[in-house]
Amino acid sequence: MSTFFEIVSPSYLLFPALLGTMIMGLVCPLIGSYLVLRRTVFLGLTLPQIAAAGVSFTFWLQQSGLVPQWEQSERAIGMLGSLLFTFFGMGLLGYLEQRGKGLAEARLAAAYALAGGLTILFIVFNPAGQIEVLNLLKGEVIALSQGELRLLAAVFGGVLLAMVAFHREFLLISFDRDLAFLLKGRQMIWDVLLYLLAGLIIAFGVILAGPLLIFGFLVLPALAAKPLANRMTSFLLLSSVLGVIMAVFGFYSSVRLDLPLGPTDVTLGCFLIFLAYGLSRISTRIGVTVLALLCAAATLSSCGAKTTVATVPEAKAIHDEQLWLAKVKNSTASTLLLPAINPLRSLAEMAGKVSSDYRQSVMDLLRDDLKIELEHRGFRVLLPEEKDARFVAFPTDTGAAVRVAREGKLSGLTFVGEIRRWEVEAQKFVRVLADFKLIRIDDGTVLWERHIQRAIPTPSATNVGQASTDAVREIVRELFAG
Amino acid sequence: MKSEHDLDKVGSAGERGLKTDPLPLVSLHNVNLGYDSQAVLQSVNLAIYPGDLFGLAGPNGSGKTTLFRAILGLLPILGGSLSRNCSLSNFGYVPQSAALDPQFPLSVAEIVEMGAYGRVRSYQVFPKEEKQRAGEVLDQVGIRHLIKRSFFSLSGGQKQRVLIARALMVMPKIMILDEPLSGVDEESRRTIADVLIKLTREDGLAVFFSSHDLTMVQRVADRIVRVDKGKMWSEEGKTSVQR
Repeated sequence: MSTFFEIVSPSYLLFPALLGTMIMGLVCPLIGSYLVLRRTVFLGLTLPQIAAAGVSFTFWLQQSGLVPQWEQSERAIGMLGSLLFTFFGMGLLGYLEQRGKGLAEARLAAAYALAGGLTILFIVFNPAGQIEVLNLLKGEVIALSQGELRLLAAVFGGVLLAMVAFHREFLLISFDRDLAFLLKGRQMIWDVLLYLLAGLIIAFGVILAGPLLIFGFLVLPALAAKPLANRMTSFLLLSSVLGVIMAVFGFYSSVRLDLPLGPTDVTLGCFLIFLAYGLSRISTRIGVTVLALLCAAATLSSCGAKTTVATVPEAKAIHDEQLWLAKVKNSTASTLLLPAINPLRSLAEMAGKVSSDYRQSVMDLLRDDLKIELEHRGFRVLLPEEKDARFVAFPTDTGAAVRVAREGKLSGLTFVGEIRRWEVEAQKFVRVLADFKLIRIDDGTVLWERHIQRAIPTPSATNVGQASTDAVREIVRELFAG
Repeated sequence: MKSEHDLDKVGSAGERGLKTDPLPLVSLHNVNLGYDSQAVLQSVNLAIYPGDLFGLAGPNGSGKTTLFRAILGLLPILGGSLSRNCSLSNFGYVPQSAALDPQFPLSVAEIVEMGAYGRVRSYQVFPKEEKQRAGEVLDQVGIRHLIKRSFFSLSGGQKQRVLIARALMVMPKIMILDEPLSGVDEESRRTIADVLIKLTREDGLAVFFSSHDLTMVQRVADRIVRVDKGKMWSEEGKTSVQR
């Protein structure tokens, strides 16, 4: 995993999320370009915040029983709130603009502050738990389902078509209103349509990707394209291209470094702006060429950055078959116990293998699966606690693991694992940080090791326990199948 | 020479001996102009016919742009009557280049092509013949070689000529130019003046331009109206004198 081309391959597990991000990166800058040129960048910041207030408002209403529970998914309800608030906010800002009282920036700043405050208040009021709502507001695009991707493609595709079809009208009304009036009459419809399209992508984008990412996609590619373009068509085209670059490389960095996507993309977008202004000092054509070369170089280097990921070796290959499989160490702040409804636990209970008050943990699941796979590799797997009940989980630090094993008079090989991070997000994916090592106890040689740091999608999971189970399977598959 | 608010003298057909002229393209009768009910110009009487080369002279802030905006329908009049005998899409408007936002990354070609937007449908690919025409109008103002340049990187005179080309792209019956000769180099000034004269004489267009420089207006315009302190009156221009 984790080479550039593997991530952009349609067979990659997170491909729908990548595709969704790319669609947003392609379309948002087209709208954002006009916001930048019309000097209404703050609108691109305020509207996503208003949309976020709409999301938290609808959740609060629903959870507090003020409106009936709907059958639709949480995101669909959030989307409705997002749409309603966005268009109401736009209408109100438009009305105040028409009245012409006060400064436009002041109105937008006040609206931003109000929307930010309301978002937090609605979350605080929500009896259903703030974490769930916060997760939805963060808009984890990584958890994008196929259905949501289709919706995203339809909405953003429609916006893209409208932007292409009416680009002359949008340009004319934005650049020279007097000429627009002379040639096309009083065409308020183009202003309304432009803001309607902006509202649509913001309302849908906020619930699917979060306000930060949407604001980043709206504004940053356009700001980066500006110093490099001297024609409107090349400006719009370059904005979109930079948006896609920001989406792809941001996604790649996010997956590789296990960073949240929104802040990673925004940071990358800001870097592109600095780069673009630096390049613009050379000449537009050379600047664009250098930028393209840099992107190509980054792509190639990330392809070349592929480290040969070794799978757990066969027992025969290392001429040793006895392997002590230590308990997996839990270094997270949580107990990682699976919920009582876990069907695996019921089966174990029925088989009389565990007492009814025993609850299985992620570490247990992981060790069970590891044991099966190691036995398939030809190892004779032994459990340290069967020799001495005082054995607990081994640390993954090689020296410490060897010392513990030697003190317990173990010989041969030991397989140690440590979970440093295990976060189940909205049951759609699990963020994992874990280390595994195969160590020869006698001389302390590390025969194999692996560091896993990524978000593992669990699209078919219906509860937290199922998500953890699916993630464990995926980790073991990755360790043994590469 | 001076005669305030005199429709017969300000742009009347009689003065030019063109009794058979068609209806005026634009006529204003006792028009009051201003903002928020505050009059900037009062009792304006004016008629512009095809082939007229009108100069509007007056100091900054005297209401020249206000008059233009009213003629173009961009500003409602406070009183009197204003009539146009051609549609607004027949007006070629050349604003002051400083009024355009330099934030927009636009090439000369893109600016000029805007003049054809009224004839091109949305979602339609920009027609080849319109692109060709854009080259021709740039030829008319002598700057076809700048077609690929960034508009806002041009000099004041070059920008002004691009905006005139854009107005010509509209295929207008009347051209309204707001301070086209201000802040431009001598060569551009000569070219612009020549273009304006040629448009009226050869193409029969009506041209109405403004300037705060009376001498400049006198050198170019056939007939002159002056505005100052809320009043408007006519003076004879170059050609009248030369005739």
